Amino acid sequence: MAALGARRLLRPGRRWFSETVPVAPSPPASPPYPPVVASITAKSKAAKSRRLQRFKQRVHAAATVEEKLRLYGKLQRPKYTVYPQTFALNADRWYRSFTKTVLVPGMPPRAAAAKPPVAAAGTTPEAGSAPEPGAEAPGAAEAPEAAKTPEPTAGAAPYLDMGELRSLACDALLQESFYQNKKRPFLYRDQDHTPGPFLTQLVSTLAAFLSRRNPLLAASSLDLNPEVNYYWHHGEEVVAHGHRKGRVDPVRFQIDDNPHLQIRVPKQLPEVVPLESDLGDVPVIDHKPSKLPLFKKQYENKVFIGSKVADPCCYGHTQFHLLPDKLKRERFIRACLEDQIEVVYRSNGIASLFAWTAAQAMYQGFWSEADVTRPFVSQAVVTDGKYFAFFCYQLNTLALTAETIKNNPRKNICWGTDSKPLYDVVEDGNVKGFNDEVLLQLVRFLLNRPKEL
Amino acid sequence: LFPGVRQAQWLTKTKRVEGLPPAVQGIMDNPAHGLQELEERVKHAVSHARLWDTAEVAPRREQYCPVLFENLIHICRLMSGKYPSLSKRMLARNCRIAATWERESILLQVRGLSGILMNSVTPIPPVASKEEILATKEHVLETFYPIAPTIDLQEVNVYKELNDTGQCFADGYPYSHPHTLFFLESANVRTDRFRPEQLRAKMLMFAFGNALAKAKVLHGNDPKVLEQPVVVQSVGTDGQLFQFMVFQLNTTDLVSNDGVKNLVWIDSDQNLYEKAQCVPEVKKRVVTKPAGISGFQPDTFKKFLALYLHGTV
Repeated sequence: MAALGARRLLRPGRRWFSETVPVAPSPPASPPYPPVVASITAKSKAAKSRRLQRFKQRVHAAATVEEKLRLYGKLQRPKYTVYPQTFALNADRWYRSFTKTVLVPGMPPRAAAAKPPVAAAGTTPEAGSAPEPGAEAPGAAEAPEAAKTPEPTAGAAPYLDMGELRSLACDALLQESFYQNKKRPFLYRDQDHTPGPFLTQLVSTLAAFLSRRNPLLAASSLDLNPEVNYYWHHGEEVVAHGHRKGRVDPVRFQIDDNPHLQIRVPKQLPEVVPLESDLGDVPVIDHKPSKLPLFKKQYENKVFIGSKVADPCCYGHTQFHLLPDKLKRERFIRACLEDQIEVVYRSNGIASLFAWTAAQAMYQGFWSEADVTRPFVSQAVVTDGKYFAFFCYQLNTLALTAETIKNNPRKNICWGTDSKPLYDVVEDGNVKGFNDEVLLQLVRFLLNRPKEL
Repeated sequence: LFPGVRQAQWLTKTKRVEGLPPAVQGIMDNPAHGLQELEERVKHAVSHARLWDTAEVAPRREQYCPVLFENLIHICRLMSGKYPSLSKRMLARNCRIAATWERESILLQVRGLSGILMNSVTPIPPVASKEEILATKEHVLETFYPIAPTIDLQEVNVYKELNDTGQCFADGYPYSHPHTLFFLESANVRTDRFRPEQLRAKMLMFAFGNALAKAKVLHGNDPKVLEQPVVVQSVGTDGQLFQFMVFQLNTTDLVSNDGVKNLVWIDSDQNLYEKAQCVPEVKKRVVTKPAGISGFQPDTFKKFLALYLHGTV
């Protein structure tokens, strides 16, 4: 009976739905088929982008920074070697376009509190660029006993004893160039004979002297002749020849730098301007990098700041670069290329500092897909023994690859000065024409520290 | 020669005292210098030199020995924040030293590159008291009969008796007093390095040479007992073992075998650390030796720092 009744219900041709009222929506059933995505191994653009996504996920998910660096530089392909110290004409414009850097002439505006007052009798520090040469004797041909007794440092406005600093600098210079009897310099190795040791002496004694004022220096690490390397992609090109001909590849660059001296600190330097500031334009160059001239080579992709990741002093403070004999001023003047002298200093500053700050950022886990969340600041002094040029670099972005640069408004910023002489000539145990401003700028660089300290 | 220091002692008419002089010990034991806090920094310095300095897995001795030395000197120099007179020091590298003297009618000369020299404006005050100096009169120098004391020395015809560290520096140099000599045995191959005994002998000879040259500049060329003894210190290392030496020149009268002798305090074979493991040693999937510095001895650095501070503190 029940069956007859059921069939009568069925006959009108109604579809047999379940009689139970659907109380709650049935739990979302797991999709019966796996998601449809591009293949991994096919020779197609979709497959390539899927492989790229997998690579990026692997790097994002790496457990330690060393693993991240290892994966980042695992694939070796021909890359351009960028030399910071180069004779190429107008190299600094090219380097600025490779690293997306804006060059701002002059030194960055310092906060008033950071500038040490010089020899004013315990007054509050002057703000901005108010002239402080009141007590500072200009024209340092005077003897260094400018009679400034240092105040006890525990007090509020300790001021700098320019006479003491000047005598330290002059002693270092005289020892290396005059007093110590050395053999004749080796051919084309003039820089190793006098300016190299002078720079080492000067920096080490000044750093030790100023460590009282700057606790960051007291915890710093001084490297002699360290190695700094950085590897990055910027732009795209089509592979010209070989079995990979016709494919679109990122343009790879590698900087291998050997500064003469560098100071590494455990705490980061404060930012100079906010992360998103725009202070100028990045030059756009339409030519291939090989026109600079820049040459390709394939070797290990290294990212190194001077010591391994485990070192607590993982942030950079100041680098000191010594220009080799090949890039002497006299050679440029003889070749009628006087305007390229400053280019040498600038390209060295920009390239070396970009490599150093970017490597520091990578040591903290940032990379081109995971852009920096705070700016990385470092300083550099480029010199040939007599002329000093000062640079300050703020790294705002690491995203320079072809896809990440599209929506990236941030630019890296480099402040730089022209080269100025520290002294005129050394004669008979006297330093003639000593320039206090250059020394003061150097001291200001060394005293730079985070605001909390 | 194997008993290197004994031979050097005879050649320089020196009496040897084990351990460091009480003045240096006093600096070490003085807690006001804050040597405890520096321990952490020294460990970092050692780790940096031995483990972290290179992009390769492990740095070689030619690299880590000078780097370790530079790091330790950097830490010592930063102490000039506390003692401003420490900034009156200057390091000179690749100094050439030449000194000549006569020893029982044998003319001896010390020449060569003496490593790294640290000079200071003020001399180190004499470490031994007057009584100790006079007491050395009774000390008899040991000889090696039948071996002649000049064995293993190179015999050359010297036409000019060169005599000064003043050769190394021109006149009027403000940092005129040699303070400490540093010797770094950094050759990669073990046979190119000096054995500890020979290193100590080399340190003694060069310290003596510097002191003698300074004494001749200060007091003239005549051999005599010095009123103000000249003190020169010396540190030698191969990156792990340190040898410390304080040499006091009491007399330039070196021809005869009796009379006042010179004094040297030697502290030898001080290990700064036992082992530096670059890669953790893993046996059967278990880490037996973790990476890092093991067996760190802070006392060795305290001695290094005490020798550095000696003379200004």
